[in-house]
Amino acid sequence: MNIFWHELKAHRKGLIGWSVGMVLLVVSSMAKLGTISGSGQNAAEILKAFPKPVMVIFGINGFDLTTAIGYFGVTFLYIALMAAIHASIIGAEVIAEEERDKTVEFLAAKPVSRSGIVSQKLAAGIVNLLILNLATLAASVWSVDYYGKGVIENNLVLTMMIGLALMQLLFFALGAFMAAVTKNPKLPIVEATSVLLATYIIWVIIDLNSSFDILKYATPFKYFDAKMIIDSGHLDPVYTAISVVLTVIMIFVTYFAYNRRDLKV
Amino acid sequence: MNIYFQELRFYRRSTIIWAAVFALGIFGYLSLFTTFTKDVEVSKRLLDSIPVALRTALSIRLDTFFTIFGFFGYLLTYLWLVGAIQAMNLGVGVLSKEISGETADFLLTKPVSRFKVFSSKFMAVFTVIVLTNLVFMPAAYTAARLFSADAFDTKLFLMIAGTMFFVQIFFLGVGFLVSVVVPKIKSVLACSLPIVFGFFVVGLLDSLIGTEPVKYLTPFKYFDPNYIITNGAYDWKYLIVDVGVAAFCTVLAFFIYQRKEIKAGA
Repeated sequence: MNIFWHELKAHRKGLIGWSVGMVLLVVSSMAKLGTISGSGQNAAEILKAFPKPVMVIFGINGFDLTTAIGYFGVTFLYIALMAAIHASIIGAEVIAEEERDKTVEFLAAKPVSRSGIVSQKLAAGIVNLLILNLATLAASVWSVDYYGKGVIENNLVLTMMIGLALMQLLFFALGAFMAAVTKNPKLPIVEATSVLLATYIIWVIIDLNSSFDILKYATPFKYFDAKMIIDSGHLDPVYTAISVVLTVIMIFVTYFAYNRRDLKV
Repeated sequence: MNIYFQELRFYRRSTIIWAAVFALGIFGYLSLFTTFTKDVEVSKRLLDSIPVALRTALSIRLDTFFTIFGFFGYLLTYLWLVGAIQAMNLGVGVLSKEISGETADFLLTKPVSRFKVFSSKFMAVFTVIVLTNLVFMPAAYTAARLFSADAFDTKLFLMIAGTMFFVQIFFLGVGFLVSVVVPKIKSVLACSLPIVFGFFVVGLLDSLIGTEPVKYLTPFKYFDPNYIITNGAYDWKYLIVDVGVAAFCTVLAFFIYQRKEIKAGA
């Protein structure tokens, strides 16, 4: 368990920073809602009549901006982007840092198996993700309730946060996978965040032009789309299954690749 | 000059990629301008009926939004974010990679002063930023000419596109300061991404602590495209703050670097 605790301690400061940033993002975005909902009910009707490209560019395609949960849906994309960046950095870091910082020699000489090292590091990373998720959850539940003026949407917010957690795990697994298969220990973070950005751009393209709909399986931002969750009230079983399977495969490959890895000392 | 050219060579590939991303992004986005303005009268009438508060929250200005300036300005906010990441990476990375790569002792035992090391490296990354903008601005201008049916004021357009440069030098300066203050930078990207996003989130705080104080805190609020369109000039207060912070951070970083204990590689 030593590696686990050491790893948690190493990422403590960063985690506090990310959590504070996330809470500020949620609360300050939701605070803007106050100014909107005070200004008349028919705004939603008007917005619905807009040409689609205009709505997409504003990032409000399909959301009812006069309700707290609709507004939160718009914010959710930014939350997801932040959480995904955090997750992919942490995933890549926990696996690659020992080689990058030239401490792997020390670690590998200890009486722990490679799988043991990976397990403890992944566990520590997942705890980081969960803490960030809980901070986001708390801020979201509070601000949706507060700015929703009595309309309590805790179930929807909770469902979105479960989606967020699955997405965090997916990008975390991506980071770890990249770190396990990439030779140069400095590259995984760059690779994982580049893939992340590419999937985000795919999401925007699909939203703009439905003829690219076929690409929807290629972007996790679609798997846990806030619009879909608000409309249906639950996560999509197919997307969720894809996400979980991808996560498991990448974690599996991480173990496999790390066990056979030629550690650079 | 060796250090300068060495750094330029080192950053050549990544600069080409960044510049290509900017050029492609701006072309892709501006190509939507035609569809975007197709129903301009409908959209305008609709926008007109939206409450002012909502318009402000979405930062839409009726008179400018459906011009190429407004459309371009809207994307620019996000392009700044990307540009800021590039500049921050350069600022944080250019000095710290010698330490993390354990080449600092090699470099510092050469007959060059720390001033020479610092200034060469600064000039190199500054050149990279200038080159990136020299790709970005013509690309944006060409795309705008290509996709906008109406004629527009070239000078005004280039002024708006030019804000990218000022946002980038801000983050370049901050990056230099961070790189000499933080004891050990293990991963450049893991350090620069959170800082850039931090500044971005600060920009959103206007709803909590008011618009005015926030405006000085983050470069993402220094260059409002709407202000430039209306006044035909940058808001000089913020321009001074921007360049001032960049210069201050760089000079401070230099003085810290002069006296910094650089650990030699094993």
